[in-house]
Amino acid sequence: MANTDFSVPASRVHDILREKGVNAVTTVPDFIQFALHDRLLNDPGMTYVECAAENQALTCAMGMYVGGMEPIVMVQNQGLFNCINTLRSVGIDANIPLVILVGAFGREFDNLGKPLTESRRVMVNRTQPVVEALKLPFYAIETPDDLPRIAEAFDTARARKQAAVVHFGYFPAWN
Amino acid sequence: MSMTNYEACAVIHQIRGEALIVNTMSAMFAITAVSPSALNLSSVPLMGGASGMGLGLAIAQPARPVMVLDGDASLLMELGTMAQIADVAPANLIHMVFNNNLQFSGAANLERPGRKLDFAAMARAAGYASAQRIETAADLAQILPGLIATPGPHFIDLAIAAPPKFAHRTPQPEFPDLQFQRMGAEAAKMMEALGTTR
Repeated sequence: MANTDFSVPASRVHDILREKGVNAVTTVPDFIQFALHDRLLNDPGMTYVECAAENQALTCAMGMYVGGMEPIVMVQNQGLFNCINTLRSVGIDANIPLVILVGAFGREFDNLGKPLTESRRVMVNRTQPVVEALKLPFYAIETPDDLPRIAEAFDTARARKQAAVVHFGYFPAWN
Repeated sequence: MSMTNYEACAVIHQIRGEALIVNTMSAMFAITAVSPSALNLSSVPLMGGASGMGLGLAIAQPARPVMVLDGDASLLMELGTMAQIADVAPANLIHMVFNNNLQFSGAANLERPGRKLDFAAMARAAGYASAQRIETAADLAQILPGLIATPGPHFIDLAIAAPPKFAHRTPQPEFPDLQFQRMGAEAAKMMEALGTTR
């Protein structure tokens, strides 16, 4: 398979976000999700807030949610590691059903098509175990066939009233 | 010159009206005692989270004043929110820091880092609409109504007196389960009050 076979169209992700009523993004930008950042930044229906650190992306999203908006959070895997305590507080203790889009920064291309846990890079191979250790659901988006899992992440987060992680294993495409 | 947490919160209570108040650390105990309301949301146990939550609320509820009652050490943990707040520039946000130069105030009273730091100068440099240091409850009562009526974001560095610390005979506190459910419970109450429950 070519690397591009692991790329999901950012337009389809954007469509799913709209279908789920998402109208705000808080983010520390992710190297993997550039194409999605670009689309959301240019969507006039989306409030897009750049944050200095991932804790702030989570707390700002929580405030938006309590105030009636439907935010998502976009960070990369390193950023997720950076905000574990805030994720515990907001996404578990406080029952705020945030969906967090996480990019697999640093994933070596020869790991594509293989389990993330077999990556040679710690920030890639420990992301899923850390999320699951928090007892939060983890949805790996590895090919376009996985796109329905994004909607599932929203449904699960909202039903459980807890955070859920959607993990992009490769760069979403610009189409 | 300084004021106690309770003196500051008593002024805020008199003036808040329908304001949403995000609070944390020592300000949390004072505002809860002095101004209990479904419109209060505590960032607990989450040191540093209040300013981000307040920003999010201010964006989502632009027609209401939003006040953040931050701690000094808490704000230090998430100084980047000052840049974010200045960028977004929510006109309805008043960010107050309860500044007693301590960590675990009223408990261990440990010194916090940044004792030479001028928070108001930082807020001005970040781009808040206004920023000032307030030394007394009377001065706070005088300026707060005007700030609510003027487009923000505004920043107030409150000079807060250090409370007595634990003595060696003071029982060590155990945090009740409620402390860990509080933020979620208050968020649910606030959503009920705002009509945003889903």
